[in-house]
Amino acid sequence: MIRTEELLLNVGPQHPSTHGVFRIIVKLDGEVITEATPVMGYLHRGTEKLAEELTYTQIIPYTDRMDYVSAMTNNYVLCHAVETMMGLAVPERAEFLRLIVMELQRVASHLVWWGTYLLDIGAMSPFLYAFRDRETIVNLFNELSGARLTYNYMRVGGVKWDATDAWLDKVRDFLPYMEKKLVEYDHLVSGNEIFLARIRGVGRYDAETAIDYGLSGANLRCTGVDWDLRRTKPYSLYERFEFDVPVGRTGDCHDRYLIRLEEIRQSLRILRQALEQFPSGGETMGKVPRVIRPPAGEVYVAIESPRGEIGCHIVSKGKQEPYRLKFRRPSFVNLQILPKLLVGETMTNLITILGGIDIVVGEVDC
Amino acid sequence: MKGLLKGLGVTFKAMTKPKVTIAYPDEPLVMPDRFRGIQHFIPELCIVCNQCARVCPTDCITLTGKPNPDPEKKGKVIDTFDINFEICILCDLCTEVCPTEAIVMTNNFELAAYSRDDLFKDRQWLRDNNKNVRQDNNNIGAPQPGKGGAK
Amino acid sequence: MSDEEKKEGAKDDLEPDATSGSQRSNDLSEELTAANDAERGESRLSAAEAGTESAVLETGANTDTSDPIDLERESRSGSTAESGVEHREADQETAEARAARAATKAATEGGAASPPAPADPEREAKLAAAAEAPAARAAAKAAAEGEAAGPPAPADPEREAKLAVAAEARAARAAAKAAAEGGTPSAASGSAEQPPAATSPRQPELDGLVALIRDAAGPDAIESATLNELNGDLPTIIVQSDHLTAAANALKSAPQTRFTYLRNVSGVDYETHLEVVYHLVSLTTGRDAAIKVKADREQPQIPSVTPIWATANWNEREIYDLLGIHFTGHPDLRRIMMPDDWEGHPLRKDYAPLDPEV
Repeated sequence: MIRTEELLLNVGPQHPSTHGVFRIIVKLDGEVITEATPVMGYLHRGTEKLAEELTYTQIIPYTDRMDYVSAMTNNYVLCHAVETMMGLAVPERAEFLRLIVMELQRVASHLVWWGTYLLDIGAMSPFLYAFRDRETIVNLFNELSGARLTYNYMRVGGVKWDATDAWLDKVRDFLPYMEKKLVEYDHLVSGNEIFLARIRGVGRYDAETAIDYGLSGANLRCTGVDWDLRRTKPYSLYERFEFDVPVGRTGDCHDRYLIRLEEIRQSLRILRQALEQFPSGGETMGKVPRVIRPPAGEVYVAIESPRGEIGCHIVSKGKQEPYRLKFRRPSFVNLQILPKLLVGETMTNLITILGGIDIVVGEVDC
Repeated sequence: MKGLLKGLGVTFKAMTKPKVTIAYPDEPLVMPDRFRGIQHFIPELCIVCNQCARVCPTDCITLTGKPNPDPEKKGKVIDTFDINFEICILCDLCTEVCPTEAIVMTNNFELAAYSRDDLFKDRQWLRDNNKNVRQDNNNIGAPQPGKGGAK
Repeated sequence: MSDEEKKEGAKDDLEPDATSGSQRSNDLSEELTAANDAERGESRLSAAEAGTESAVLETGANTDTSDPIDLERESRSGSTAESGVEHREADQETAEARAARAATKAATEGGAASPPAPADPEREAKLAAAAEAPAARAAAKAAAEGEAAGPPAPADPEREAKLAVAAEARAARAAAKAAAEGGTPSAASGSAEQPPAATSPRQPELDGLVALIRDAAGPDAIESATLNELNGDLPTIIVQSDHLTAAANALKSAPQTRFTYLRNVSGVDYETHLEVVYHLVSLTTGRDAAIKVKADREQPQIPSVTPIWATANWNEREIYDLLGIHFTGHPDLRRIMMPDDWEGHPLRKDYAPLDPEV
């Protein structure tokens, strides 16, 4: 007698395609998933609890390690929150530097996503191309802040290091190089029939679901909702620059892919304008009291990281340490839609969908 | 079919381009000056103010001081100074706040050891770690004599 | 239709409907240049009405509550930063600089472009005197100690900072009192006597929300409703936990608010009680609000909003895991970050791990 049974498969914490230590327990009927349960917490380091005993400057290295692929935006959200609470003014040069590094970080983060996504799907060479170009950016950051991944670059009231003119010239040279590379990536991948067959129509959801589940970033924009915090709730100097926000139509993985590539292009556009408008002189730190003590109260600020809306909720009792520091991590919230999307999909599409959501487990767990 | 051929064209073109990899252990990896590597400690400059130990986010610095052996001078001199490199995250905050720049970063990053005990570095080792000391320190936390405070 | 064309087609569709976007950004930049051209303090309010954080330099959101002291201080800090004046001799300089600024402000009060108000110069003179007192004390101490370089005795810079912060707090309190004689563009120095109640531009928003919740959930649903000045006057409403579901439904579906997007759910442990904060935003109007719910510490129970906003699912699980608040009606309330057999709730203030080594 032949009978079928339901199989419980553990896409375990150690898996090359889960982008970190992340586990999904799937119930399989043949090759089709009937139920999926994500299990996380393998990378939970207790940042929020530790932060209750550290001063704000000491927390900045910890924020680097949350979303380690996009550390500059994490630094920025914490510094921005404290500066909002205290009403501090940031000098223009510092703000420009912050914006330039954040946009460079966006390009680097999307390159990591692109390379690893295609690697998960099965293409080996785009991974190396992406990392070759990311090396240029990471070397720029190394020159600027002294580290390749965990920069510890921003401080409350400004930035730590000033940029030399030589460094700015290097960024300027990088922009046309990267634009040429984007054309090359298009030729390499975007027309590839196998790729399109795997990606088109996979993981589709509509705008109402996206809003209900609180998705942000490219996951929200692929459904047609035009919501980008740089445009709708501007922070830093984004109002000074012209850039477009790519918005999709169908809400599937293909749209998310195209949106993120277009976002790289738009980031390069912002960078070009920022370098043109860069002030020739100025301070890198504003007037900050020696001891950073925000007034009692609470504040929530959110910015657009490459993954979506990253927010920082600080409750302060007027001391040097926060009373409660909570990070609203985009990967954590975006991942909630995974169990819903996976029902009825095959195992291969699990990898495609998971990669398309663009998670970093350091952020999922905090 | 066309898309596949286009992609192959890119791959073949890449074969003619120069290599971007570095043969690492044979070729040394040169880091820029601001790179945050393992610290270098200068005991003569240390005034035992404890700022570095206080600001360290992971509490990896332990130090003790003793009163200055020279009866003329006041203040303390450093007796022991240990950094636990199991938990040091090379964040650079200790160099930022040191008022005398007694602790600075170098550009060395090769610290791999066969046993965890080897990662607990003492004052003598940190003093001898004086190759590739970082020049650009940007010590923004502490007041510099003549230059003023937070810069 | 070959794949090429399909790709182009899809790409074209993705060409963002950004004409509106870039136009909007153009408008914003025009507004900003206008704002920067005029006396900085005055037209900041008109830019603020557009809903953006006004001057790009100031990241502080409380510039919306325009008050003379904060604006002048910020504009002066901007200008001194640009002119590169070295303010950084000693630790005590922050108090001194503030006193100097207050003094010069009081001196130039009459020369300001906007009409001075009778009440304000007195108030500012008082504040200047208050700020000068710690500076005078600091100067005396600096003279007594001699060199300010070298290892600062840890007490002094902190005390100076404390005094500076106290002066700031006093200024902020006075500023909050005269808060936003706002809405009128020329109100930088305050054109009227201090009104008894602060009228922030977002007060009507708060009133609207309060009325909406009262209609939907009953008159005793709201415990308190305030504007959070630190956060750009965010309407913050504390709702009773029994009425949370009704209030949340109203906020989500009411046509004037349409808070369909729940941004963030945080749990906070105040030692006397626990609290959950919901941050909402409307994707259509761009308005935001915050709802807070209090819970008892012994048996914390709050109705879950997962049926209303699906994004609250894992957020509430995280709060349950780390703080122990039980959400009634949650489809799947179990631990998410900690291992499933963990004892205790780590983020509580009185949490002591069973095994201290872990």
